[in-house]
Amino acid sequence: MKKGTMIALLLGVLTIVLVVAGTLWPGASAVVYAGQRTLLSSSSTPEAAVRNLGEEIRRQAWQEAYSNFANKAQFTESDFVHDMTGTYPGLLTYATLDKFDVLPLHATADDAQIRLKLYWATVVGTSITTRDLHIVKNGDHWEAEWPIVKQARVPPQVIPVNYLRWDVIYRGSGDDWGDQDVEAPHVRIVDMHPVERADGVIIMGELLNEDVVPAYVSVTATLMSKTQVPMATESSFDKISHLLLPKQVTPFLIKFPNRTLSDVGSVRMTPTSALVSASADPVIEIDNEHLNPSPAASLTGQLTNQSGRVVNVAHVLGTFYDKSGQLVWVADEYINTPLLSQIPVPFEIHIPEDLAGKVSSERAVIATFSIGGSQ
Amino acid sequence: MQNTESIAPSTRPISLSLLLMMAVVIHLPLLLMKLPLKSYDANFHIFFASHYVHHWFDPWNAKWYAGFSQTTYPPLPQQWVALLSWILGLDMAYMAVQLVAILLLVVGVYRFSLLWVSPRAASIAALASVFLGSESFLVYSAGQLGTTTAAPIYLIGLPFLYEWVRYGNWKSFLKASVLLVAAAAAHHATLLFGSFLFAVPVLALTYFDRRNGERISISAFLGRSVAIAGVVCAGIAVVLLPFWIALIHNPVTQTPIPHPSRANYILNPIWGLNYFVVPYGALILALPFIFMRGALVARLRPLLIGFWVAFMVGLGGTTPVGHLLLGRAFGVLTMERFSYWATLLALPFVGLLAVELVDRFKLRAVIGLTTLAACTCALAVGWSTYRPADASSFKVDSVADWLNRDGHDQYRYITLGFGNKISRLAIMTNAGSVDGEWNSGRTLPELNLYGAGALTSSKYFGKPGLDALRAMLTHADNYGLKWVLVRDPYYDPLLSFAGWRQVDSLEDKTIAVWSKDGVPPAMPVNAPQMPPKWQGLMWGILPFGSSILAILVLLIPGKRERKYLEERHSITEVTPMQERMAS
Repeated sequence: MKKGTMIALLLGVLTIVLVVAGTLWPGASAVVYAGQRTLLSSSSTPEAAVRNLGEEIRRQAWQEAYSNFANKAQFTESDFVHDMTGTYPGLLTYATLDKFDVLPLHATADDAQIRLKLYWATVVGTSITTRDLHIVKNGDHWEAEWPIVKQARVPPQVIPVNYLRWDVIYRGSGDDWGDQDVEAPHVRIVDMHPVERADGVIIMGELLNEDVVPAYVSVTATLMSKTQVPMATESSFDKISHLLLPKQVTPFLIKFPNRTLSDVGSVRMTPTSALVSASADPVIEIDNEHLNPSPAASLTGQLTNQSGRVVNVAHVLGTFYDKSGQLVWVADEYINTPLLSQIPVPFEIHIPEDLAGKVSSERAVIATFSIGGSQ
Repeated sequence: MQNTESIAPSTRPISLSLLLMMAVVIHLPLLLMKLPLKSYDANFHIFFASHYVHHWFDPWNAKWYAGFSQTTYPPLPQQWVALLSWILGLDMAYMAVQLVAILLLVVGVYRFSLLWVSPRAASIAALASVFLGSESFLVYSAGQLGTTTAAPIYLIGLPFLYEWVRYGNWKSFLKASVLLVAAAAAHHATLLFGSFLFAVPVLALTYFDRRNGERISISAFLGRSVAIAGVVCAGIAVVLLPFWIALIHNPVTQTPIPHPSRANYILNPIWGLNYFVVPYGALILALPFIFMRGALVARLRPLLIGFWVAFMVGLGGTTPVGHLLLGRAFGVLTMERFSYWATLLALPFVGLLAVELVDRFKLRAVIGLTTLAACTCALAVGWSTYRPADASSFKVDSVADWLNRDGHDQYRYITLGFGNKISRLAIMTNAGSVDGEWNSGRTLPELNLYGAGALTSSKYFGKPGLDALRAMLTHADNYGLKWVLVRDPYYDPLLSFAGWRQVDSLEDKTIAVWSKDGVPPAMPVNAPQMPPKWQGLMWGILPFGSSILAILVLLIPGKRERKYLEERHSITEVTPMQERMAS
């Protein structure tokens, strides 16, 4: 064989080999787009079948995922999509699956039980959902039975709304009020505790709207060194209920990552408030509140939307106190399913294990978001 | 009366003026339609140019990232846009510079191809460059002004490199040096990787080419190569000194941002279409010829190797080659530019193939090749419409007006759901933002830690993007970030729960303005990255000056160079059969 032909052949073969290698064992950059899926993907084991399902959900290849279910005759593809993303717009509607865990629970020769833990990247943070799947053998491969959860439907009805509502008329550009404008509501920090945790210093406390008008509030904290030099400034961000109706209290929590309390001389707290239009509607009732002891200490309960308006995202803030009524911890959870009228939705707020023993009482506050108007 | 003219194809090369006219006929209407404005990066380059319009000698731009240095990107084409904008306006100045780059490519491909193939084949290669899918893709879909400007300058300079190393011609030495420095001033990646992909094959050719049956002596080859490499490196070091200082002080250490050009094109066929089929077009049909002819003809082998390496890296994550060769740079660079360079390296082969087909099949070949070229160009141009960089078409004028009035520009802003309109908005508003589109220029930790691109497109980066957005909103007070302009209600829950309130709406309520109470006015950032005045002066004078110098040295007559080229033509038209006979 001539030298030139050899070179052409060598380059051609090398090209094919490299393409095949890159496709069968894709690199990290390719995995970002293709997932763990390769041309070798198969459902030859229960874990592989669930892993493929996880990849299909990650790629939002709903049709592909649905077609591989063993029990697809029991529900439609649309039911499955609604089960994943919700019938009404909620946190998961536009979320993407960041990653998933496959945890084998039980296996025999013909079936298996596997837990699929899905980590959704939502706009407010990671939301985790868990499904226990029954996997059955079908010939030479395995198929998952999807435990479909059909979302409840609200029957047609009329719900009268008679909750309080405050409207504000602000100074317009043409008004001759000089610099005068409506006064900011009076708010006060009624409790504040700095604590040191593994990831830094945490400032938590409670804020009271002591005015007779609604307030849009926020809290900023500045750590001062022992020589009274500002070290860092952080705000409560979403660890607070920003809208406070008259006489309402909200907990707040401010994180200072990578700081130690021993360096801190004092803390300067700056609450801000603004007068805003507000309504007491939608009212969310909290039922069956229960403090669960360690291990896996948590606050559980149910939220019920008493209004007719759909609450697309609810945020539960839990304040935990010790026996003497001192603030111990503030934690929160976003509810990833929308709150429909009169349909209870469970919530669970985890409490750090080292603090669980100190907690003897709690108080929960709900912040809500509805499309077309937030509260 | 009968027409007795022969219909046999001419064996003469197509004249350069005709080739340039063809490029004008194809691309001028598209540029007059401002088609590149729909691309990914055109507005980014115009934004940089708009800064040079007002601050030619001050590369610190306060409009993005709370302040960043434009010395992080070689400025040449953007400075030309800035200069021409005084006459044409920014948009048309961009189009003018892009047109010049397209015309230079015709000249560059012709001159580069002459090193490898006959004048006739070289002229056809230059004609093919007018229809090249990757060129149209970069111009109309990617908007890569820097890459498409640097490559032709580089190609024009390479024959001078050949002439210097092969014949020791000092005029060629001067021209090659100045052109290569000017190319570096236009685009840094072209300099770094083009050196290997383009220059090394040319240097190999100088060594293997025989004159009167003899090769150049090794000492002369090495001496001249080292001499010009030293001079060019020194020139680039000086001309782009602020760029190197910025790079050394702030190396790109941020978490790599995923880019679909690094995907596996087989596992993700849509990206294969986007980054392989569209840029290559009908060139895919020529691949077997390129491999065979490149391997069979000894003097074409360096070109084949250069092409093959660029081709493999351009395949992104389809092969492990890119990652193995580029290392960490693989996670920073986008791969379509390698496909672009691969197609440029393939053009001499295309010229050869076309000549052989036309000689054999006459008019049928001409019709077939013309059809394939037209389809390739049409697909690449049309791709910007079929798969636009930014599907939503909306104006940001009202947003800019809002930011510019009532003291709103005392605070910083970000947009959500604006796509690459943020460059256009930044051109029009006086307000500063903490977001931007030039990832290598950003230094804010909230943006660098998570491996996401622009905040305005946070949701498309999944968890990293949303984490970066939350981090930035958490530290809004630190940056005077008071306004969030939202065109995607997806982000509303986050803003609502994080303490932002909707205070206004624009564009028929399709854009909401959210505000945060208690944010202090934006303060200038005295970042260590801020270049001192002497660097601003260098940045304003040297890169642009290098292009002026390049124009001037090209005016120096080069009779001897033409003689060298003619001499070379006698050894370029080599078919495998002839080579076999010669041996």
